[in-house]
Order: sequence, then structure tokens, then C-alpha cells
Amino acid sequence: MNCNHDHSDKNYSRRDFLTKTSLGLGALSLGSLMSPTDAYGSSNFLNLLDSNKQKLPHFAPKAKRVIYLFQSGAPSQLDLFDYKPKLNEMFGQEVPKSIIGEQRLTGMSAGQNSFPMAGSLFNFKQHGNSGAWMSDLMPHTAKIVDELCFIKSMHTDAINHDPAMTLIQTGSQLPGRPSIGSWLSYGLGSDNKNLPEFVVLITKGETGQPLYSKLWGNGFLPSEHQGVQFRAGKDAVLYLENPPGVSANVREEQLKYLNKLQQIQHADIGDPEILARMSQYEMAFRMQTSVPEVMDLSDEPEYIFDLYGKDSKTPGTFAANCLMARKLAEKDVKFIQLYHQGWDMHSTLPKSIRNKSREVDQATAGLIKDLKQRGLLEDTLVVWGGEFGRTNYSQGLLKPDDYGRDHHPRCFTIFMAGAGIKKGITLGATDEFGYNITERPVHVHDFQATLMHLLGIDHEKLTFKFQGRRYRLTDVSGNVVNEILS
Amino acid sequence: MFYDLSNFLGSLHPLVVHLPIGFVLLTMIFEFSANSKNTIQNRMISLGWLFTFISSLIASLFGWFLGDNGYYFESQIDIHRWSGILFVVICFLVWVYKSSNLPPNTFLSRFRNVIVITLLTVTGHYGGSMTHGEDYLTENLPEIIKEKLGDDYEEISTISSRSIDSLFVYEDLIHPFLEDKCMVCHNDENTSGGLNMTVFELLVKGGENETGITKRNAYKSSIFNRVVMSQRNEKFMPPTGIPLSFDQTKILEWWIEEGAKLEQPITSFREDAKIQKLLLHLYEVDIREKPFLETLVLEDLSENDLIYLENENFEFRFLSNKNTVLDLKFIGEDITKENLKSLDKIKEHVVWLSIIDSNLSDDEMAYLPNLKNLTRLKIQKNFISNKGVPYLEGLDNLSELNLYGTRITDASFEVFSKMKGLKKVFLWKTQVTKKGVAQFAAQYPNIEVMVGY
Ligand code: HEC
Repeated sequence: MNCNHDHSDKNYSRRDFLTKTSLGLGALSLGSLMSPTDAYGSSNFLNLLDSNKQKLPHFAPKAKRVIYLFQSGAPSQLDLFDYKPKLNEMFGQEVPKSIIGEQRLTGMSAGQNSFPMAGSLFNFKQHGNSGAWMSDLMPHTAKIVDELCFIKSMHTDAINHDPAMTLIQTGSQLPGRPSIGSWLSYGLGSDNKNLPEFVVLITKGETGQPLYSKLWGNGFLPSEHQGVQFRAGKDAVLYLENPPGVSANVREEQLKYLNKLQQIQHADIGDPEILARMSQYEMAFRMQTSVPEVMDLSDEPEYIFDLYGKDSKTPGTFAANCLMARKLAEKDVKFIQLYHQGWDMHSTLPKSIRNKSREVDQATAGLIKDLKQRGLLEDTLVVWGGEFGRTNYSQGLLKPDDYGRDHHPRCFTIFMAGAGIKKGITLGATDEFGYNITERPVHVHDFQATLMHLLGIDHEKLTFKFQGRRYRLTDVSGNVVNEILS
Repeated sequence: MFYDLSNFLGSLHPLVVHLPIGFVLLTMIFEFSANSKNTIQNRMISLGWLFTFISSLIASLFGWFLGDNGYYFESQIDIHRWSGILFVVICFLVWVYKSSNLPPNTFLSRFRNVIVITLLTVTGHYGGSMTHGEDYLTENLPEIIKEKLGDDYEEISTISSRSIDSLFVYEDLIHPFLEDKCMVCHNDENTSGGLNMTVFELLVKGGENETGITKRNAYKSSIFNRVVMSQRNEKFMPPTGIPLSFDQTKILEWWIEEGAKLEQPITSFREDAKIQKLLLHLYEVDIREKPFLETLVLEDLSENDLIYLENENFEFRFLSNKNTVLDLKFIGEDITKENLKSLDKIKEHVVWLSIIDSNLSDDEMAYLPNLKNLTRLKIQKNFISNKGVPYLEGLDNLSELNLYGTRITDASFEVFSKMKGLKKVFLWKTQVTKKGVAQFAAQYPNIEVMVGY
């Protein structure tokens, strides 16, 4: 982005000059962003990169970190959380015309002659003191509903996986925007000198909708704010190890000289990306010891593995990643993003969802309990959910014991727990057919605004100017969902 | 009968007043361009002054009727009334002078013109203010000019700068707008309808016919009833000028429904989300309960303080957009007395503190009682026993205490029970017993004890 080679005698590239002097409004927006720290840095755009110091929050935060258990592919809310006995009563009948109206369907089921309603095959019960409805697919989670806050009236703009995931993770359906974790890293800086602020853990060996790194990308923010993927296995972070034959001492020496050279370069042309690069080198060096330490689960006692379920002993499973997430939370990593793929059940849903739920149920509940007993749930926000919902009618042939469900952006359920969130409540509702929202719609941007709010950020104020306009996570909308704040 | 007729004629006043204005201007233009030797022209001019005199006499008579109905502010009427009458008198004198055959005097007539025009302007302006409102002239000016003039018609409320605990509903919210909109006509001297609103007891009592305030019944309180009735109703108050705003009537209603107490503090509206919004909107007063953090008024921390903290192995993070309240985390391996002593300099600023797994000992806990504003203390996984815990007893603001992985026993419950602000205590992996926890929980149900699953 910053091409300075033909301006080697100048301190700034043309673009940098324009964005950083008073000519560029970007300078103003950054200035306002960083005013609290003006006292601590000689230069504003150095401050931008110096994420050790506090630039925000706009107000006192409730949460210090987030663990986002993303269920990629869109879990069926109708089989897990959103109980609709009407669908069982009218099993096999057509969805009333008045319910679907003129709404768009995906190309996968729009051509169907018939839209038979498919009631869930799973038993629903009310749980806990709060009486939250859940099916018997997630028995462990059902036991801790009194810690959870369900939002049954989530809705999104996109009807296909990629745009919908990009929307919920970056605030826009179009690729190229920074993801939630990057915004937080950029806005709040680091609480931990040895680990990145934003770590990504993906369940190993799952198939389904692909996960692209744009979902944890930094977009136009400085590159040190991108999510760093920790992988199961011996190379947790790719290319972190020293090349064969290079000892740690040599490496340190090398970096010292490299740093000097880059200092000179920076003094010469003042490109902030140089600082970003430098801080990443240093971070990488520190991570050579900190990452293996945090990835090592051998210290965990047996009863902790029991809490997360037996899968947690197998590296790379969702359960092991949940356990890892707790360790990262203890180390004050700010945004821990898990992905679990394979919820996209267009056919044979009853069979697939049984397995999928089993993979996540105990670990999800285990994580929340473990955070709670350590006191971490007081300042950690946990989010569980996918990118959209699934239809109330069967995609393909409806059989008494089998159905599929297509994409449904008009309503879905997510749940949250932890810092700043009311416990044991359910917000919003859908109609008796589970198709449209009847109460308190919550848009993806509202959810994002609320998440930012919990971390002490006014989502309208955390902006970054790029290509002539100011961008923010919630684009041009989003309202904090005050009803769920404790 | 006479009353009705005078009321009717009074209402014609705004119509009739324009007649003398037209006459006098036309006459003055004639006079200016006239040849003083031309007798026909001179007769026309003196006729012009006669018409002006007659029409202004009628206009002011009608005006008197209108002013008598009590619906205008005396202070405004006074100037309007007397300058109008002076105008009539001068016109009469001019007519007498013109129709006598005295020689014209240019100086005198110029001087006279200035006086006539001035009177016309003054009278017209005060008349206009009464019918169209005080700022009728400027309100439609282009914004740019308004800014140049200094936009001072917007009332600036000063209460937003005061502490909300010192504000009272009547004194600070209601009295100011009643004073502004009603008390010109309802005061010690001018008790329209027998109502004096400047004295609280008399306001409650009401006027000749109606009760001022019936507690907990707004619609039986004339003070409220009169301001929310149809504006066409002749009983609507205020009879002239800008009525109370919607928000103001709402506040009045709420206050009466709450019992119309003189000493009702604003904070008693805390539970009511609607009125909260309204106060925020109208006065920029936020009565919502503030988190403890926001109530702290502390000095900004200096860069030196912070560097000092970093050197003592504390990582800091501000908890608001001011550089005051801190979240501190010890990041060294083994905490020392020196590290802890460094906190003394910023003892009021630390609100959250984590010293986790850092060999904090019972003796070193002795440095913690100074941190009066602590709300969250995480000292889990240290060598702390019952001996160290009593140091925390005086931390009244502490609501969350994490002691998991320490060696404390049931004996510490006694200390927890004395901590005023405590809401949650984490005791997983300590030596407390199930029985001890159960007993404590039964006795202090408001303190949540977490001992693990
Ligand atoms: C321009 C003068 C004027 C203003 C301003 C004015 N009033 Fe009046 N008010 C009167 C007159 C004249 C009467 C008596 C005639 C009537 O009852 O309508 C009266 C009567 C009343 C009465 C009835 C008293 C009784 O017991 O008969 C009440 C109540 C009242 N006003 C309330 C108010 C309130 C509240 C305001 C401010 C919002 C207000 N007034 C502003 C002139 C005024």
C-alpha cells in the first residue's frame, strides 16, 4: 500500500502525507480516536501502532475478552433452541403462503413444488430456573441454561454462507473489511506481550463450507491486527520455528540488526507498515516460547478433561480448542475465535445434527463452567452461534424420520454468556411457524454493536479512514441491545 | 352585554391598527414632496393627519378593550399602550397645527417626523411581540445572520452541570418553567384568577375557582389540567405566548402523580425509563444509576506515574476515556514489597487489580487495604491463608474477590460477611468445606460463592 521507493528522499509517501497532515481527514479521525493517549506519544501515528497503551475505551468495559464459538454452516435453530410444536402438528402440510410472502429463497429450494413443514424430530423441554427451551440434542448445555442469554430473533442480510459469514465476522458481505477481532485489537491494543491479541482456532479435519482467512483478516487496518491461527499438531503457528541450523541466539542477534536497519528506514520514509513489521518480528520471537507453552495441555488435570469431554484429549477437536481457549483467556488474549464447521444440513439433518451437537455440546458447557469456577466468566464474553438459520420446511423429500433444511436468514438463534450479559434470559421470538420474527429483531450489526459496547467501545466512534471514507465494524447501522446487558 | 361587545371590538384591534399606519406614512410622503404654497395640497395633508388621528384613536380604544381581558403580560402591554396613546395625541396636535394657518416650520416638522416614526416602531414592535412571540422578527432570519447576531434566545439550562443528587423535581425542573410561562400573570401583585404561583402553598391551593394541585391526580389539578386542554379552549394556559412543551407537561404530570412533594429528589425517577430519556433530552441530565467507576472524581495520572508502574512490573489499562481509573495486572513472576509499595502513589486510581500466581504472601496483603476504590481483586493461585484475608475487610467497594487456589478455610467467611460491597467470591480449590459454604450462603444470600463444579 505504501510505495515509497521513488520518494526516498522524502519523509512521507504522497499518500501518507495526504492522510496524515491536516489535509487528510484521516488524521482527524485518528486524532480523535487517540486523544486519551496524546500525552504518552510524541506522534499520533506512532501511537496507532503502539498498542501497549490505552487509546480507548470510550466508557468502562464489562468484558476484557471474547471467546466466539462460531458454528459454521448454520445450525438448525428449529432442532436445537426454537421450539415450534405447530410444525409438528402440521407436519407435512405446506407452509402457509402468507408466511413466506414474496421473500427470496435460495436457488437450492426455490424450484421445489412443495414446501412441506418439518417439525423437529427432537424432544424439547424447558430447563433450569429460567425455563429456557432446548431440545435433547445438547444435554450438557441444557444444564447450564441459567448462565446463558438466548437471542431467538437474530436476522441477517445474506442468504448464502460466504457473504453471511463475512457479514457476521466483518460487518460487510463484501470481503476486505477487518474482522471483529482485528477491530478490537486495533482499538484496545494488547493485554499480553507474548501472545497476539487475536487468535483463531479451527476444528481439525472438518469439512463443509470453506473458511477463508479473510474472516479473521485485518482488512485495511495495520497488518499486526490480523488473527493468528494456532494449529493443532507440532507446528502450532506456521513458520514460527527457526529454520534448521539457526539457534535462538543467532536468531536474536539477527533480529537486533534487522531492527536497527528498519529503524533507519522508518526514520527515512516514515511508513507505519515498517513499525508493524518490526513489532510482528518481535512478537514472533516471543511467541517461539509462549505458543508451545500455551498449546501444551499436559499440565491439565484429569477432571478438567472430564469437564470438556473425552474429545478434549485429542488435539484439534472442538473440545480441545475450547480448553485451549480457556488457557488463552487466562493469558489475556483479547479475542479468541473458534470455528467448527459442518452445520450445513440440507439433507439427512436428523442424523447429521446428532453427531454435530455431540461434538460441541459438552465442550461448550465445559468451557463455560470452567471459566466460571476460575472467575473468568466475570470478564469474558462467550458467544455461540452460526451465520444464519434454517428453514421450517424440508428441502427435498420430507419423510416421517428424515428431512433437510435450507438456508434461512430471517431468523436464527445464538446464545451468549459471561461478562455484562444478563443470565438466564431469552430475548426475541419468532412466529409459531418459526419463519419470521415477531418480537425484538436483532440484526447482525446490533449484535456487533453490543459486543463492542461490552468491551467499552462505542461502535459508532471506532472508525478508520480508508479510500476516502470512514469505516466501522457496523458499517452504517447497529444499535446496542440494551435489554440483555446486566 | 358590554363585556361581550368590548371583547369583540378588542379582537378587531390587530386588524384596525394597520389603518393609521398606512395613513401616516402616506401623509408624510405627501408632505415631503408637497409645495408648501399650494393650499390644496396643504388641505390634503391636514386631512391626512385627521384621518390618522381618528383611525388611531379607534385602534387604541379597541386595543384598550383587548388589553383589559387579562390575557396579556402587563409589562408588555404598558409600553405598547402608552406609546400608542402618545401617538394618538401627537397626531391630534399635528392636525390642529396643520389646520390653523400657522406658517410651516421645516425643523419642527422634521423633528416631529422622527418622533412619529419612533413611536410607530415601538408600538408596532411591542404589539407584534405580544401576538407573534418575542423573537418573531429574528426567528426566520437566515441561519448565518442569526449566528452573527449571537443566538442567545436558546435557553441554556444550568442544572446539567450540577450533581444529580442535589437536584429536586419541583425546584429545579418545574419551578423554572412555571416562572417563565405562568408567573408573569400569577404572582404576588397580579393574581389572575386569584392564583399566585410564586408561593408553593398558594400554588397547591389554587385560585378562586379551582384547586391548584390534587396530589396523585394530575387531571384534578388545575395547574396541569389548564396546560393540557385543547388550545382553543379559552381556559387554556398560558392564554398567550408559547405553551408548555410536551416534555414539560409530562414532568408536571409525573410529579403530581408521585405526590407533588416539594422535596422530591430527581433521582427518585430512576426507575422510570421514559422520564429518564426525557430528562436527558430536555436538560441533558442523566439520572441513571452510574457505575461506581463513573462516580469517581480523580486527578489525571501523569506519564511518570505510569512509567513508574511499568517499571514495577505492573501492566495498566485505563477503564474509561479519562486517564484516571486503572485496571492493573502484575506481570512479574514473584511480587515484592517494593512492587506493592509503588501502588501507594496511585492508590485511589486502582479499581481492578490482578496479582495472579505471583507468590503473593499473607504479609504482603498488608499493602492492599489502602486501595479504597478497588471493585475487583484477583489474587487467585497465591500462598494466601486466613491470616491475609482480614486485610481486605475495609475494602467497602470491593464487589468481586477471587481467591481460588489459595489456602484459606471456612474461618475466612467471617471476614467476607463484614465486607460491605462484596457480591461474588471465588473459592474453588481452597480448603473451605461444603458445609461452611452452605452455612454462609444461607446467611448471606446476596453474596455468591463459587466453589467449582
Ligand atoms: C398572560 C397572563 C397569564 C399567563 C401567562 C398565565 N395565566 Fe393563568 N390565568 C390568567 C387569567 C387572566 C386567569 C383568569 C381567567 C381564567 O380563569 O381563565 C387565569 C387563570 C388561571 C387558573 C385558574 C385559577 C382559578 O382557580 O380560577 C389557573 C389554574 C391558571 N391560570 C394556571 C396557569 C398556568 C399553569 C400558567 C402557565 C402555564 C398560566 N396560568 C399562565 C392569565 C394568565
